[in-house]
Amino acid sequence: MNAREKEQYLREYHVFKGQGKPFFPYTVFKDGTMATLTLVVIIAAAILFGAELGPKADPTTTTYTPRPEWYFFFLFELLRVVKPPALVFMATVGIPTICLVLLIILPFIDRNPERNPLKRPIATLTGITVIAAMAYLTIEGAIAGSPTEIEMKVAKQYEPGRAVAASSGCLGCHKIGDNGNAGPGPPLTKVGARLPKQAIARTLINPTPPMPSFSTLRQRSPKEFNELVNFLSSLR
Amino acid sequence: MGAYDGETVTRRRLFTGGALAAGGIATTAFALPAVGFALGPLFERTEPRMFQDVGPVGDFNPQSYVPKVITIDASVGEAGKSTVYVRKRDPSRDTDHLHQPYIAISNRCMHLGCPVRYVQASERFICPCHGGVYQFDGKVAGGPPVRPLDRFETRVVKGRVQVGPRFSLDSHLHRFKVRDPSNHVDGLWQYIYPSRPTT
Amino acid sequence: MKLLPGPLRRRRPAEPDGRPAAVPGDGDLRRGHDALVREREKEAERQRRREAALEVPISVAGWLDERTGLGPFMRGLLYRKVPPSNWFYTLGSATLFAFLSQAVTGVFLAMYYRPSATEAYTSVQHITNDVFLGQLVRGMHKWGATVMMVLIFLHLGRTFFFGAYKYPRELNWIIGVVLLVLTMVMGLTGYLLPFDQRSFWATVVAVNLNSSGPIIGPYLADFLRGGAEFGATTISRFYAIHMLLVPGLMAALIGAHLYLVVKLGVTAPPWMKAEKARELAKEEI
Repeated sequence: MNAREKEQYLREYHVFKGQGKPFFPYTVFKDGTMATLTLVVIIAAAILFGAELGPKADPTTTTYTPRPEWYFFFLFELLRVVKPPALVFMATVGIPTICLVLLIILPFIDRNPERNPLKRPIATLTGITVIAAMAYLTIEGAIAGSPTEIEMKVAKQYEPGRAVAASSGCLGCHKIGDNGNAGPGPPLTKVGARLPKQAIARTLINPTPPMPSFSTLRQRSPKEFNELVNFLSSLR
Repeated sequence: MGAYDGETVTRRRLFTGGALAAGGIATTAFALPAVGFALGPLFERTEPRMFQDVGPVGDFNPQSYVPKVITIDASVGEAGKSTVYVRKRDPSRDTDHLHQPYIAISNRCMHLGCPVRYVQASERFICPCHGGVYQFDGKVAGGPPVRPLDRFETRVVKGRVQVGPRFSLDSHLHRFKVRDPSNHVDGLWQYIYPSRPTT
Repeated sequence: MKLLPGPLRRRRPAEPDGRPAAVPGDGDLRRGHDALVREREKEAERQRRREAALEVPISVAGWLDERTGLGPFMRGLLYRKVPPSNWFYTLGSATLFAFLSQAVTGVFLAMYYRPSATEAYTSVQHITNDVFLGQLVRGMHKWGATVMMVLIFLHLGRTFFFGAYKYPRELNWIIGVVLLVLTMVMGLTGYLLPFDQRSFWATVVAVNLNSSGPIIGPYLADFLRGGAEFGATTISRFYAIHMLLVPGLMAALIGAHLYLVVKLGVTAPPWMKAEKARELAKEEI
């Protein structure tokens, strides 16, 4: 903004201010109503939902699935999405720091004197994109589940197989429904439609590395192995 | 400028300099101890942990890991404990140069420190947080972890297995001084994430 | 000192030709005259009582004004003109109110909380189960955090889309972004304090996140943890940061933020510009 535009804005603002209403009581009334509403919402949430206190902190756990508070879910999902180890520091400190710096220097990047959101398309579109991205990451982070639980609904006869799959670590590399990791293995949500039962059994016994072999599982408990194969081939 | 010819320091300049110096000294006097207090722990040497008993030799086998609880910091009660996965060395599978009689693997994920769980069916360590997966010997199988799982020193004393201080490994399973989870140690990375006085 | 401004001081509407309001009193002239006098006396009595009642607060205000000189400042603050605005502009003060709610509930929680790794969890259980209204205060503090995060992001969005970060309000925007970061730091340090599973592991991850920064990262992690491992001083550090350091910084920055808002004025909604410019252009011709 050059000096002329600044002066023009100040003159315009002076006119607006002259047309304005006194702070007390008009603005104070609006602020007060909103403040009361905020307080009512906080108290209502405290009474209706309460403050849960989970089990005591236990560093020796082998079953707990750590998750942050909901307002950090977008950063949490960013950490899940950035998989190459060499880029980990980008996801942890790099990207958030860059975004923060951009946010701070925003008034110096955006020199357009225009304020109407409909007349500054770049700013408005960027804002909407950022909000949509954060909302998407937050939702994805919220539904990310434990790698030893499968939440997909299956017919009763496949439930034992589903339990075997969940406790065998498949979700560590595969996605089944909403659960699991998106790599290094392909998603198994529709594997029953892609591969016949024999092919699934063969892959489990003789897989392509780095997938581990489940031949020991077949030796130890053929019943569980068959349940697993049946469950996987039911995924269509 | 001064009271007589050639004098350069006026009364005003003297007092201005004096006020600034006195203010600086006063500020330093109460800020330095506070800063030192806050930063002190960064430079303290932590005592090396002693060896702890985790069970008789018969508890452990070469095919699967047994979780045991050890104490990392005794002053915080339950919050100072951790789980270690112990296995007897299998000469046919363990080709590393560490030559430990028993392999004790830490449950701390090398991405950001979440507790990993061992899954026997697939012989993998799986992290519940961000998708990290490790192989049977602790090396990374997939996901964002930056190096293999840390191990603990082990020894056998009078038929009982003992677990000692923790150390870190690079991707070829060479021993390094212990680091924080997200710190790489391969190649040049060990200088970007140096070991600190506290470790 | 005039306390109530013109429009708010109660006045009886005058007659069209300027005479004071007529009082009831018709019929027989003599009776009407007596009734008129009685009415006028009653009115005068009421006016005297009203003025006597207002004496006390006016004299207190006068006493303060004489010793502090705050009268003109308060008048300027309360009765300054604010450009026409809509309900979106209330988000900022709602955020401030949520912060104050957090501060007050936080003080009450601090009276019962014990910041030690071995006692923290039991003290929070004590607050929830045994202390009178403890469950409500703890719930208010927890949900207040969520509400404050939502409001601060809505306020940020409103300021962004209305272009209220442009000249001359750039410094206000920067202060606001720093306040956003401090609010998230409050959330982070705060939710370690109950010391349940979720708190513990979220904090372990958060500290290791700091450790992943090149070169100074590990030292920063040591600073937050108070050492190489999660220990006895970690909770105390987080407690001091959450109770003293960050609220102090936030209070100072909120003061600066509000000062700038009063000094520079609240922006008018951006779509008003077009109509105003056209009107101005018309006037100039």
